[in-house]
Amino acid sequence: MSNHIVENLKKEIENFKAEIKVEKVGKVIEIFDGIAKVSGLSDIKSSEMVTFQNGKGDIQTGVALNLEEDAVGVIILGDFSKIKEGDEVKSTGRILEIPVSDSILGRVVDALGAPVDGKGPIKASKAYPIEKVAPGVITRLSVSEPVATGIKVIDAVIPVGRGQRELIIGDRQTGKTALAIDSILNQKGQNMICVYVSIGQKDSKLRKLEARLEEGGAMKYTVIVNASASEPAAMSYIAPYVGVSIAEYFMDQGKDVLIIYDDLSKHAVAYREISLLLRRPPGREAYPGDVFYLHSRLLERACRRNEKYGGGSITAFPIIETQAGDISAYIPTNVISITDGQIFLETDLFYKGIRPAVSVGSSVSRVGSSAQIKAMKKVAGTLKLDLAQFRELEAFSQFGSDLDESTKKQLERGKRAVEVLKQLQYAPVKTEHQVVTLYALTKGFMDDVPMEKIKEFESGLIEYSESNAKVFYKEVLESKMWTDKGEEQLKKAIADFKIGFMK
Amino acid sequence: MKISPQNIAEAVYKATEGKSGQDLTALLKRSVRILVNRRMLGKSNEVLGALQNIFDKKSGTIRMKVTSARGVGSEAKSALENEIKKKYKAQNVISEFFEKRQLLGGVKVEVGDEVLDNTYRNKLNKLEQFLIQAK
Repeated sequence: MSNHIVENLKKEIENFKAEIKVEKVGKVIEIFDGIAKVSGLSDIKSSEMVTFQNGKGDIQTGVALNLEEDAVGVIILGDFSKIKEGDEVKSTGRILEIPVSDSILGRVVDALGAPVDGKGPIKASKAYPIEKVAPGVITRLSVSEPVATGIKVIDAVIPVGRGQRELIIGDRQTGKTALAIDSILNQKGQNMICVYVSIGQKDSKLRKLEARLEEGGAMKYTVIVNASASEPAAMSYIAPYVGVSIAEYFMDQGKDVLIIYDDLSKHAVAYREISLLLRRPPGREAYPGDVFYLHSRLLERACRRNEKYGGGSITAFPIIETQAGDISAYIPTNVISITDGQIFLETDLFYKGIRPAVSVGSSVSRVGSSAQIKAMKKVAGTLKLDLAQFRELEAFSQFGSDLDESTKKQLERGKRAVEVLKQLQYAPVKTEHQVVTLYALTKGFMDDVPMEKIKEFESGLIEYSESNAKVFYKEVLESKMWTDKGEEQLKKAIADFKIGFMK
Repeated sequence: MKISPQNIAEAVYKATEGKSGQDLTALLKRSVRILVNRRMLGKSNEVLGALQNIFDKKSGTIRMKVTSARGVGSEAKSALENEIKKKYKAQNVISEFFEKRQLLGGVKVEVGDEVLDNTYRNKLNKLEQFLIQAK
């Protein structure tokens, strides 16, 4: 046995060639709060990875961010308490890289790609740089395939396509993370890999979330990148770039990826902390001048590539937390302008019991409608307008009691629409079921169903239609088409079900 | 505007260029006074370092630090100095030689921020990293 080990070791050592070359070495001249000022390293480039070596053989990694005349400002990734003044710093000539492989699926990794879930090491097959230039125009394809989030109000009114960047924005405790998690849960069997990047959040919250995903069988196709609140700001700063690198690894295999950045407000705060420590001049709200570039270069990496360049897509759901509903603050306006639309969650709606608390009037999807399937487009076409008119009429109707018949009808329809769009957490609805419900709603089948029985009607109808409108289901599921024959069958199934239900 | 030790060193070098004797002494005293007035006396080492770099650059001088496990013979010393002179196209080489048992063997040459580490210790460290990665 021992001979075998020695033989193996011999073989390994025979393969080893000690390449000795001239290296650039600097010295730590100052160290504070996760930042090191380093002298020397005259040829270093911005964002280059450096390694810190103390006499005891400990190696720490850092990234050069500030290139000054006589020193280099480096952020330290990890425990900086082991680094002291005078320690050697070596430049590597490479951008920071993370190990990636297919076995990363189902794992929780830290901001350097190392596993933190206690399930053993991840065998890496490749190393991906965390900073990359976003794919150019020639390599891209416009958004045309939907991302089924399983959330009725999103899939119907604010549809999202593969390769789109859709911002989820709202105050604290309005269900932003819940929307994202529901979207991940609904990707089961949809041929989608999910990456969830947790930035500056409590470890306990992440643990709960991981357990929820595990329970829903979603961890099989999900990777979680965690830079928790207890870790240095540098980790929060690099975490989203690490997440998108993992997403790019899967996209390069032609796969579709959904990435969630939860949340970019904390990311901006971490970058502000680093920038101020590096003595960069503060601008609005004390953020540095390049905070827009911080997010634009990240979100620009979300794309849908054409077949010639390998296919695949990265759909991004960045999350932004607002303060007291102020979407005109610095970071929210920046990210709104970068993304292809936003889903705005309102506290008032949340406490009225309208959950998900999506404000349809303030939410928009700029490119998603071209990704909607025909059937959904047909049934949800006027829903947004109907809801907007309902809100206006609702406010107006509070002043008077005498309303004409058509206004009353519109109000009743609006109330039912709001009720139908309500949805429980962790209960995503399949697209075909959404189409059935919305068809019944928009064609007026629900107008005389009592409000308190809407949910019951909805679930019963879905069950009934599955066995009585098979042609319709086949068309929607297989060819994503909408034909008169299918519509007729669906209409009949709804009418039949209603007769039985209203008895 | 913030004044860096590099700025002060450049100013001192330019002011003292071609000066000697009492003029030089007076100039240097005034330079120290400026450091005191600007509360930069604590940075005097950095100023001196920057001044030395400027002087070395102007005079084509290279400073080399050689560390070995068991010392370097005189022949090897002059061969090293000539090699460095040629590589950096320098006129003078100021070298310092140190002994450090922990290096086990070989030699480590440092010029500015460039280091050529050909010691056994470094090779062993690299072998360690190689074996960890192979695992």
